[in-house]
Amino acid sequence: MNLRIRLERRMHQRWWYSLLAPTSAIVAALCVGAVFLAVKGFDPVAVYRALFEASFTSLYGITDSLSVATPLIMTGLAAGIAFRMNLFNIGAEGQLYAGAIAGSWAGIALGKNLPPVLAVTAVLVLSVLGGMLFALPVAAFKAYLGTNEIITSLMLTFVGLYLMRFLIYGSTSFWRDPAVTNFPQGKKIANAAWLPLFGSYRTGWGLVLVVLVAFAVWALVKYTKVGYDMSVVGSSPAAARYAGIPSKRVVLGALLLSGGLGGLAGGVEVASRAHALDPNGLALGLGFSGIVVAALARYHPLGIIVVAVFLGGLRNAGAALQSMPGQRVPAEVSLMLQGAILLFAIGAEIFVRYRLHLVRRPAVTK
Amino acid sequence: MSDNVLPGTTPASSRGVALAARGVTKRFPGVLANADVDFELLQGEVHTLLGENGAGKSTLAAMLCGLYQPDEGQIYRSGKPIRLRSPREGLAHGIGMVHQHFRLIPRFTVAENVILGDPKQSLLMKPGEAERRVGEISERFGLPLDPRAVVSDLTVGQRQRVEIVKVLYRGADVLLLDEPTAVLTPQEAETLFATVRSMTSEGKAVVFISHKLGEVMAVSDRVTVMRAGRVTGEVATKDTSARNLAELMVGRPVEQTVRRGTGQTSATPYLEAHAVRLADAGRNVLDDVTLSVHGGEIVGIAGVAGNGQRELATTLAGITAPTSGSVRVGGVDIGGKGAKAARHAGLTFVPEDRLGTGLVPGLSLTDNMLLTRRRSFFVNRRAARAELAEAIERFEIKAPGTEAEARVLSGGNAQKVLLAREVSDAAKDGDVRALIVSSPTRGLDIGAAEFVRELLHQVRVDGGAVLVISEDLDEVRSLADRIVVLYRGQIVLSGASEELTVEQIGMAMAGVKE
Repeated sequence: MNLRIRLERRMHQRWWYSLLAPTSAIVAALCVGAVFLAVKGFDPVAVYRALFEASFTSLYGITDSLSVATPLIMTGLAAGIAFRMNLFNIGAEGQLYAGAIAGSWAGIALGKNLPPVLAVTAVLVLSVLGGMLFALPVAAFKAYLGTNEIITSLMLTFVGLYLMRFLIYGSTSFWRDPAVTNFPQGKKIANAAWLPLFGSYRTGWGLVLVVLVAFAVWALVKYTKVGYDMSVVGSSPAAARYAGIPSKRVVLGALLLSGGLGGLAGGVEVASRAHALDPNGLALGLGFSGIVVAALARYHPLGIIVVAVFLGGLRNAGAALQSMPGQRVPAEVSLMLQGAILLFAIGAEIFVRYRLHLVRRPAVTK
Repeated sequence: MSDNVLPGTTPASSRGVALAARGVTKRFPGVLANADVDFELLQGEVHTLLGENGAGKSTLAAMLCGLYQPDEGQIYRSGKPIRLRSPREGLAHGIGMVHQHFRLIPRFTVAENVILGDPKQSLLMKPGEAERRVGEISERFGLPLDPRAVVSDLTVGQRQRVEIVKVLYRGADVLLLDEPTAVLTPQEAETLFATVRSMTSEGKAVVFISHKLGEVMAVSDRVTVMRAGRVTGEVATKDTSARNLAELMVGRPVEQTVRRGTGQTSATPYLEAHAVRLADAGRNVLDDVTLSVHGGEIVGIAGVAGNGQRELATTLAGITAPTSGSVRVGGVDIGGKGAKAARHAGLTFVPEDRLGTGLVPGLSLTDNMLLTRRRSFFVNRRAARAELAEAIERFEIKAPGTEAEARVLSGGNAQKVLLAREVSDAAKDGDVRALIVSSPTRGLDIGAAEFVRELLHQVRVDGGAVLVISEDLDEVRSLADRIVVLYRGQIVLSGASEELTVEQIGMAMAGVKE
């Protein structure tokens, strides 16, 4: 072979590379999805059009997409803040459950005796604490024993899932509604603890809150000593040691912050949508999708908002696909596309960092 | 390439050309490593490739031995054009390279390492046969080695011999030695030179890569000087001088400036180590080290790499906790209390690893200026940016801008940014008194190295206490008022620079007791 591919590190990163990579990942994923749809006998163009129309053309469609995007922004932030330090907390899913458990406890127990603002605050604060507590083993083992956080955070996700199910299905716990006798359900939180929606739309103050949190995380990362120390520890532990930055504490703090953000996702879901500890309604893979959101946004807190809205629309359209006239497109298509987008987004990273060269070997001089 | 010159021949010499490069060009991303390079190695000669770091010597050598392929131009072996796709093909043509960083397997014996990867080796190894031949080769060329010794038990100098034997075993007639003396004591280097001479007397040709003028003059027959990827001169050693070579190397005359302190030193030491011991895996990396540096003087730590210098630096900087003993800065005990405590007491530290420890490669230069500074809750980049802009001007730092990532800096510019941060800090506070610098000029070109030495001298003149840790003995001797030699973690020699001879220091570096 006289042709081969060579990778060269880019000397200069142009700002638009970071937009080009995720965009091409999305386009590539849609192309792969189109092939799949065509093979299954669907018209890809019609399916994508239906997808877009369901999520982004009507006011109800848009607000529905935003309501799905709301928890995704939070889980995206949870993943992003840790990932940018090369700490792979992939357990936002479990931290979301823990946040939901703690938050719904506050909503049930404290909600009825507090004025609305305080009741909502109690739910949110408790959910953050719940998420942090759930991430504490991950954080402490990572910081002080060097345990692989990918494994601990993933395994704890199942602990969270079964704990949540146990509290509702497996026991007559505080969270279970004793009034419902047929299929077990969670006790409703007090009305005062609800995050209000806008009119008859499905999105509301929860969205405003998470957008504010995203801006706060962005400011923390960019403008504070905490964010600075996190960048140093994340990119060069030797430099952190040299500078006297306490790496272990920074790692601990970052993972706890990540867990807290994951917990808040659960709190927001409880306060604005589920209104109870609902094992079915909460276990939607929102935490795992947050990883896709963060990766596609290249861990940028404000980019996470944009990506979450896009993926929220994709997920929201899943249901609409099933009811497409004449075609019964499975709702899973939207999740399949999401997975394909992640794969292509990770693949695209290499093109951001490196330049591809097709080299023709010089002809042999004889 | 011009066709009127018969390739691979040299009218000037009667001796055959063993290896030649004609019009060789090699590009790397953003770098023209070799530009239209001509090189010619005669049979039985020692030919030095001389140049500063980054001049393109190693790239040329890599192309000569088959590690890289030239983008343009042609390599000739005994007058015939050859194309080497790998070092193995190079060896098949009798060309072998001894790398600066050894490629040996520590758990294997000398003989096993030598036969490793030999294409002629049959599936069933014959260790006896190999040991016999290794013994033969090592005797013939004055490379004393026990073929049955395990490599991990050998000294650095012995390991280098294994590398050389390995190449000779494969039947190489052309040997490329890449900065072979970098890891050797002066005495070991002498032994190496004797080996080189015995090889050339048997008709082998040696390419010697170096930037140390003294040894170049001592060992080579001819010198090809490179600068910025081009050949700037080819001279016979007998017709030239070290000064002349230095001029060819840097393109302007240089002087080996000797700088000394004023002799006025502070009453009390600013930096003190008392009976410092550092144990690592049951071994004393530092053993009973006691030294002090007063304000107004530079103390130089000399020694062959890996004799505890790195650990001494981090221990004195408060980063590594000594197993026993104490470290004081301005009278305050900072041993193992962390970098912040040391800085607070008045110590700054420029580590040997610039990009990765001293600077964070992925952060902007502005952010890097903040690394060792006290930071308030909201990071104040404005002051850092202004300070950096000033340093860029004053230190003539070549950087794309204050917001560029540190990773794009060359070694010299990275070192300037580091020094700007650590030294200007010292100048501003007035009461900051001690500076530790590890390998201050390693990898820097002569201009940048001079700048750095002058800066360190200035810190001394301004009353600061400076500890320079360097493997470059010439540098230590040209800068330090006092020299301390470290061998296996112990201070084996110390005294005023003027009173110690190179021989004394060399013996001490090699651990030879008088």
